[in-house]
Amino acid sequence: MSAPRGSIRQKLVTAMMLTSTTVVILTGAALIIYDTISSRQSLTRRLTTQAEILAANSTAALAFENTDDARQLLSGLKSDPSAVMAALYDRRGQLFALYPADAPASMAPAAPGKVGSRFESQTLVIIEPVEEDGRMLGTLYLKSDLRALTVRRRVFALVVLLAAAGSVAVAFVLANWLQSGIAGPVRLLANAAEQVAQGRDYSVRAKVASDDELGLLSNAFNGMLGEIQQRDAALRASEASLRQLNSDLERRVQARTAELQVSNRELEAFSYSVSHDLRAPLRHVDGFADLLTRHAGPSLDDKSRRYLATISDSAKSMGVLIDDLLSFSRMGRSEMQHAHVSLREMVAEVRQGMSSDLTGREIVWEIGDLPDVVGDAAMLRAALTNLLSNAVKYTRGRSPARISIGVREENDEIVLYVRDNGAGFDMAYQDKLFGVFQRLHSAEEFEGTGIGLANVRRIVQRHGGRVWAEGKVGEGAAFFIALPRAGSAQAQHEEAA
Amino acid sequence: MPLLMRRLAMVLAATTLSFTPAIAATSAPAVTQEYDLKAAFLFNFAQFVEWPAQAFASPTAPIVIGVLGEDPFGSGLDEIVEGETVHEHPLVIRRYHSIAQIDSCQILFISLSESARLDQVLKALGHRSVLTVGEARDFTDRSGMIGFDLVQRRVRLRINLVAATDAGLTISSKLLRQAQIVRTSRGSN
Repeated sequence: MSAPRGSIRQKLVTAMMLTSTTVVILTGAALIIYDTISSRQSLTRRLTTQAEILAANSTAALAFENTDDARQLLSGLKSDPSAVMAALYDRRGQLFALYPADAPASMAPAAPGKVGSRFESQTLVIIEPVEEDGRMLGTLYLKSDLRALTVRRRVFALVVLLAAAGSVAVAFVLANWLQSGIAGPVRLLANAAEQVAQGRDYSVRAKVASDDELGLLSNAFNGMLGEIQQRDAALRASEASLRQLNSDLERRVQARTAELQVSNRELEAFSYSVSHDLRAPLRHVDGFADLLTRHAGPSLDDKSRRYLATISDSAKSMGVLIDDLLSFSRMGRSEMQHAHVSLREMVAEVRQGMSSDLTGREIVWEIGDLPDVVGDAAMLRAALTNLLSNAVKYTRGRSPARISIGVREENDEIVLYVRDNGAGFDMAYQDKLFGVFQRLHSAEEFEGTGIGLANVRRIVQRHGGRVWAEGKVGEGAAFFIALPRAGSAQAQHEEAA
Repeated sequence: MPLLMRRLAMVLAATTLSFTPAIAATSAPAVTQEYDLKAAFLFNFAQFVEWPAQAFASPTAPIVIGVLGEDPFGSGLDEIVEGETVHEHPLVIRRYHSIAQIDSCQILFISLSESARLDQVLKALGHRSVLTVGEARDFTDRSGMIGFDLVQRRVRLRINLVAATDAGLTISSKLLRQAQIVRTSRGSN
């Protein structure tokens, strides 16, 4: 397993190594310092003891001024190679005896100096009083070099250094071994996480290598992965079923639409051909009824003539009905020709066209400010004709009749209304108003085929608009055509559907 | 006193501690120096010799340094001892002219003037714990305990250890180191 730079493994090893090395260095330094101090102390103690013994032994030599004995006593220092020089001074501070015996007197200091011990450059000097029963007899001056101390310190430092090197090496091995217990599981976990992140494979599980906090972490991670895996699977399943459902629905809608279109076309073709084919025999019926009236009219009694007239009227009425049906059918199928249409001019034209129906009628027209719209002129004219003729028709009993035409501009549509004070209708039946063959009044009361408003609705719908009506029986009605302001686009869309 | 002799002695004394008893008798400064040294030794003996407890009337009884016969020290001995104590014993100097005068005495310097009567003196002392010190050449041979000697112009000591031991005295080994030990058969006196 290769460890990237700055990995936990490296950090752990570094931390442990730094700690152990610092400890070893500090311990070593403390040991060396302690040893230096203690060996200096012990050297001082040893030398002081030596000086004390020598001083105690020298009392009589000083008391009885026996320099030979004094020299002999001092020569005992030969056994100690570190003793460099020793000197005995008498009570007056005069040099009495010197060691080594052959050393020049100038080697010893002129006066012994202050009693005690002191370290001079690479030497330890002990100055010890020579006393018998508390009586000062002289002074001993003892000088020892620190060679032993230096050698000892070097050896000790070397040992400490070797021990430190060994400890650091052992610490390194231990650190490498111990870190695997921490860095190993972390790495396993990290690998698992990376695998999950890269492959979106939630079936991966981190290996749980220990039952410590890292083990807990790994278990928690695995638990989380399990949860994610479950949710992922559920999500995928529901997504798939949703997509399936969607495509099923789409297919079904398409199939239905196709079926509908087919049956619609069939129905329209059927009704067109039926209407068309019905006209020929109807023309015969009307024509022959007319011929019969002209040929045998004078010879027939009133009753027969009335019967013939009824036949002729009915045939004519049926012809109108068939024309209307054909027109309705055409409105559904014909191509739309979009153009700018002036509603003001169109209303004027339609009123012109209805002049025959207006004779003998007293009608008050209230025509508002009418704008231009975009749409199929022929279709819009047909719709407008329908609405105006309805208004004229249902106000037949009013004098004066009042018909108002206006436009209400709203957010995204232009609403054209035609209001009258005619027969009106029951709002409960407003849904039926725009249906084919739906009539709220009897043919005896108000003539009509029941196709007009259905045609209006079809035309407006093909323009992407909507129609509705408001009214009250005996008080009049209002019809509304709402055309979208961006009419053309929606109209196209409507046509395509 | 011949002038020549005196001059010679002065020269000698000025250079080293070189003298002989003959010269000492005639050369005052050198002799004084020698006896100052001997007086110091007498005082030092008090530190290196142990007396039995019964040698003192009390723990603070004085150590008496007696001088029997002609006193060669002059005031030197008194000056050395002045105000000194050893083991709580103050030091006292007494001068005796006859053996009969000696009562409580720890160190007895027997002057050369008593040489002729030395045996009687020592006999009279018997086994009393008195450290006898003398100058005669045969002092220790005649059962004196410590004898002063001049060897190579230095004062040297001779010790008759048997005599001292017989008197119940303990001489410190350090003192013994400084001295020549003289062996004499017991009971020769």
